[in-house]
Amino acid sequence: MTPDRHSETSSLSQTLRDIRLLYVRELRDALREKSIVINSLLLPMLMYPIMLWLMFTAMTFVQGQQDRFVSRVALQGLPADHGALRESLAEDGDGRFELQELADADAVDELIRAGELDLAVRAIDAAGSAADLEDNVAFELIYDASKDRSDTARNRFEDTLGDYRADWLENAAIERGVSRESWDLFSIKRRNTASSSDMGSFMLGMMVPLLTIIMIAVGCFYPAIDATAGERERSTWETLMTVSASRTSVVVAKYLYVATLGTAAGLINLFALTLSMGSILQPMLGDEASDLSFEMPLEALPLIGVSSLLLAFFVAAGMLLFASFARTFKEGQSMIGPFYLVCLLPPMLVNSPDLELTLGWALVPVANVALLIRGFFSGLYPWELIGVVFAVEIITIVLLLWLVRWVLSFENVLSGSYNGDLLKFLKSNLGRGKAHTVNGDSK
Amino acid sequence: MTLESTSSPTYDTATRAGSADLPVRVEGLRKTFYDEGRGEVHAVGGIDFHCNRGEIFGLLGANGAGKTTTLRMLSTILEPSEGDVWVEGNSVREAPEAVRRSLGFFSASTALYPRLTARETLEFFAGINRYPADRVKQRVGELIERFGITAFQDARVDKLSSGMKQKVSIARTLAHDPPILIFDEPTVGLDVLNALALVDNIRELRDEGKTLLFSTHIMSEAEKLCDRIAIIHGGKILTTGTLDELRQETGEHYLEEIFVHYVKDAEAATRELLEEREQRELEQFAGDGK
Repeated sequence: MTPDRHSETSSLSQTLRDIRLLYVRELRDALREKSIVINSLLLPMLMYPIMLWLMFTAMTFVQGQQDRFVSRVALQGLPADHGALRESLAEDGDGRFELQELADADAVDELIRAGELDLAVRAIDAAGSAADLEDNVAFELIYDASKDRSDTARNRFEDTLGDYRADWLENAAIERGVSRESWDLFSIKRRNTASSSDMGSFMLGMMVPLLTIIMIAVGCFYPAIDATAGERERSTWETLMTVSASRTSVVVAKYLYVATLGTAAGLINLFALTLSMGSILQPMLGDEASDLSFEMPLEALPLIGVSSLLLAFFVAAGMLLFASFARTFKEGQSMIGPFYLVCLLPPMLVNSPDLELTLGWALVPVANVALLIRGFFSGLYPWELIGVVFAVEIITIVLLLWLVRWVLSFENVLSGSYNGDLLKFLKSNLGRGKAHTVNGDSK
Repeated sequence: MTLESTSSPTYDTATRAGSADLPVRVEGLRKTFYDEGRGEVHAVGGIDFHCNRGEIFGLLGANGAGKTTTLRMLSTILEPSEGDVWVEGNSVREAPEAVRRSLGFFSASTALYPRLTARETLEFFAGINRYPADRVKQRVGELIERFGITAFQDARVDKLSSGMKQKVSIARTLAHDPPILIFDEPTVGLDVLNALALVDNIRELRDEGKTLLFSTHIMSEAEKLCDRIAIIHGGKILTTGTLDELRQETGEHYLEEIFVHYVKDAEAATRELLEEREQRELEQFAGDGK
């Protein structure tokens, strides 16, 4: 080795160079792995268009199925004055009803349970009713709610009966000298003070944090396992341990790699979600969807971006910690799985519209950022709490990374001879003072 | 010849005095593991040896003798329980990064990144082991030519045959031009032709002035390659010397016979020690009974 082999660069710039080399190697390696590209990049990008397509297909299919079948209805004891109801059922424009005459009126329940009849409508004398109108009649609907077909028949009949009742009441009112205009009582006019953009922001604020963290977690999942258990399975771990970069640099590079793919997944998902939210909600909300406008509030964009970044860096650190114990991909999946679910809990807990970011919530990782992002969508910027949230997240991330470095200093974890049982690991390495550690970094 | 026993290692003062120039110096190296089933396992029981510049130093021992654990401590993968190793004057305890910079480590468990190409692999390992950045391309070019990698330099490692992978692996070990190379059972799992090619490579590297530490359980390999040999058994070095010195010492000709000679002696000594201890304990027990 010649003296100029290792030029006298400062140790910090050398460390940064090491981290860059290791990071680029991890990333290059990962982007050639199909499962990582699919889960971390393609899934967040394509999930919503695919979801949209699936939703439309499913709704069209269900609607088509429902429209196709005819409801078999038996009318019993309908007074002659209400013959028009029978006619409106028989002459239904869409042919949705088939009226049946029953030979044995007592066999109604059996026929419905057997699926031979969907609905029986029995007119009952309404003489005892408080409504003081002639020809008043009550209806008993006999159906089987456990059968979709029978339940649909009931819904259809109630709609038809509702229309018939409104016509009948209107005619009765006119006969009694009440004009159509004076009949129109207690009308409702709505005025929403929130703009369509406000409404859209509210909806986005409720949905974005949860969906973003799901996508970030999906984005981090495979890279975290690939960077730890994957290396052990491919027997490249020992090769890596012989390079002259410090172990801390190795951990930092792996962490940055996992966080990069988590961030990419989160941000891609955020944009895909914002762009496709309107189309997704349209079929679910019907006319109400036209009152919504889904736009990303531009002034909040940097803060939303930084918050998503914090989430990604937190999830990456947590996943790397659990994955560092794993010797195989399968072990990695089972070790990260519970952490993934734990990450989803806080945003689900705070997903109530009444809940606001308080100092207490600001101290809870993940939940604090979820509430913060929701606030940003509604134009809320509580700067002091934002500072607390950022500080809490950064401290938690540093702590998690310190734990990763600590776990990877144990020889049995490093060499993969550790038996995969987390409790046994803690017991043997902490409880009985039998820890064998490798520092691996210069003192 | 330096005959080292475990109880009182005779790592002579002359060696210690000239130790500043020794590329590898091992003193009182000990490694104890804790195993759930077996309790404390003394994988390496306090060994001393050194390597001279430009020689092939062989660690010869049966499976489980402590060769790999020793070499892993030398390469800083494991930390010694006791003792220390100096590589080019740097302690594995105090300056592990500097130690790793001076070393190239090759073993069956140091695989290559399957999704990188051969060229990318060499560039990465040269860079990360701090070969001057402005000369990495040139160095990689030289290695590609030397090991006949040109035809598949841009192919991903996972698409290469085992012979091609072996070439890339050796080139990877040499990427940062380290003065000391460790080969831990390098021929395990290789077919005859690849094993012979590897042995030739090792010899060439020695001729270029590299210091090589070579562990094996295959006697013929050690016989052909090593300038000096240390016989290791039960985590202890039984003897160290050139092949001629070992022949003189034992009166045996073949390394296989020499190896058996030392191992039998060591086992007999161990048995004797155990019997003595057992006898003492029995006598003590009988004395207490009175």
